Amino acid sequence: MEIRKLDQMFEVLGSRTKKRLVAAWAIDTHTIMAVAEAVQMGIIEGILVGDETKIKAVCQEHNISSSIFRIINCTSDLVAASLAVDLINRGEGDFLMKGLLSTDRYMRAILNKDKGLMDPGAILSHVTVAEPKNYHKLLIFGDVAIIPLPDLKQKIAITNYLIRTAHFLGIDCPKVGLLAASEQTLPKIPSCADAALIHKMAQRGQIKGGVVEGPLAMDLIVDKESATIKGMQSEVCGDADCILFPNIESGNVFYKTIVKLLKSDLCAVVIGARVPCVLTSRGDSERSKLYSIALAALMA
Amino acid sequence: MKTLNEIALKVKSLNKKVRIAIAVAEDANTIGAISRSTNEGFVHPIMIGSKARIMELLKDFSLNDESFDVIDVSNHEEATREAVRMVKNNEADVLMKGLVGTDKFLREVLSKERGLLPPKAIMSYTCALELPKYHKLLLISDTAVLPAPDLNQKIAMINYSVKMAHNLGIAKPKVALISSTEKVSEAMPNTIDYALISKMAERGQIKDCLIDGPLDIFLACDPKAGDIKGVQSPIAGNADILILPNLETANAFYKGLMLFAGGELAGLIQGTVKPVVVMSRSESENSKYYCIALSCLMAEVR
Repeated sequence: MEIRKLDQMFEVLGSRTKKRLVAAWAIDTHTIMAVAEAVQMGIIEGILVGDETKIKAVCQEHNISSSIFRIINCTSDLVAASLAVDLINRGEGDFLMKGLLSTDRYMRAILNKDKGLMDPGAILSHVTVAEPKNYHKLLIFGDVAIIPLPDLKQKIAITNYLIRTAHFLGIDCPKVGLLAASEQTLPKIPSCADAALIHKMAQRGQIKGGVVEGPLAMDLIVDKESATIKGMQSEVCGDADCILFPNIESGNVFYKTIVKLLKSDLCAVVIGARVPCVLTSRGDSERSKLYSIALAALMA
Repeated sequence: MKTLNEIALKVKSLNKKVRIAIAVAEDANTIGAISRSTNEGFVHPIMIGSKARIMELLKDFSLNDESFDVIDVSNHEEATREAVRMVKNNEADVLMKGLVGTDKFLREVLSKERGLLPPKAIMSYTCALELPKYHKLLLISDTAVLPAPDLNQKIAMINYSVKMAHNLGIAKPKVALISSTEKVSEAMPNTIDYALISKMAERGQIKDCLIDGPLDIFLACDPKAGDIKGVQSPIAGNADILILPNLETANAFYKGLMLFAGGELAGLIQGTVKPVVVMSRSESENSKYYCIALSCLMAEVR
């Protein structure tokens, strides 16, 4: 089924075998509560890696039975991160989540050459799925968090991740808009030039699984009327499922505008490692954390 | 127009005498090339060079005294300069190279003060080929001038070739950007330029033609290739114009065709304010005639 609202992810997960989440250094209320909610909804199984005493204390404080989790006891965040990654590599968990440790340490555990979760040459990126008010479907976009200024190769990888994420959400042939400063192919503006190249590659079957159009300015991607006025014929215009951002600033501003000004829900996942990785921040709403867990479970 | 002969017929039908200034018309080759079009009545040559030498050579050709002019300038550089001056001042419609080195000739054409190239214009070369196994004329660029065209030069080559195609009566020519593959790859910089150019055309930044690339020659010129390879292209194996990635490729492509497949050609320098004919001595008599006919067409149909 095609998921058009984030809530629908729960329905789909409810009908499938539960995936096992491994939360690294899950000793804080935020993490434990988010995992607990997902476990209680019956959409995942939860493995918490962290200080067992602290975990049990938090559970007790919030009236949660700690027996709903599998708990792996350890005493430091660094150890927790490597233990969590080990569990995944041993096949005892299906996807990863960050607890109270710093993003830096979390990422280092994933990226560790020998013991991490990366295949050689893989590109790690970040995909967001938003349910923006005033838009008729979900919007999948990246990279707003990991790759600051993607080069052509990285943009191609991100485009593929966006398409893959759409497929997991049941969108068979997602429409991908390649955001640029202008819809003109201006060879000296990298966002325009790279978009033209990626579009051509998709036309030649070098990128598969979706319809790719670019360069496009934002109005043409999300607003059919603007596209009509400007005489753009592409089926992507005004009906995009995915947006490739040319750099982290533009993506991040868009992300935060959706959350803070539009007050819309969204979720995100780190993609490119052997398993999806949840990377929520304390600033995220409870709802958004739950959605992120669901998204990663869907993709695991 | 589907054949080179149709170009000559068209030019004849205009009932005009195109004035061709020939720089250093002092060899039998050059005079031979110009006499047919002169006798057929659509060219009035102005032969610039040593009058004594030219008159001597003319004995071998049955040209009516009224049908040409001779301007006596014995120094080759001065003769070339005079020919360029005449074209620039509208005293002639076409410039043609005679017995003067291509380097010296082009230096005069390219001269900032006296030459025929507008400021910042790109000089290039387009050739129309008539091939026994292709159903229409095939325009190719650049077989002679730009060694390794960059993005802007490729766009100029396209625009010039499209204009030539329009003059040949092809309203919306199909332009194929040729590489060894249809895939876009950073390892092959020409494919990057091609992808940009085809997107520019899609966005209306290059007009009055259909462009696709990268494509290989099969996808460009064989209607069956698209299905076999599973590549959808508006060119659909029916290209009017091939943009080749560099001079070596373009030059080897046309010479290989002429040698092994047969056929004729008509080529012209592009970018100058008036047509400039530079022919290689090794080209066939027919091809030389067609070069002159094409230059007349380009001079008259503007």
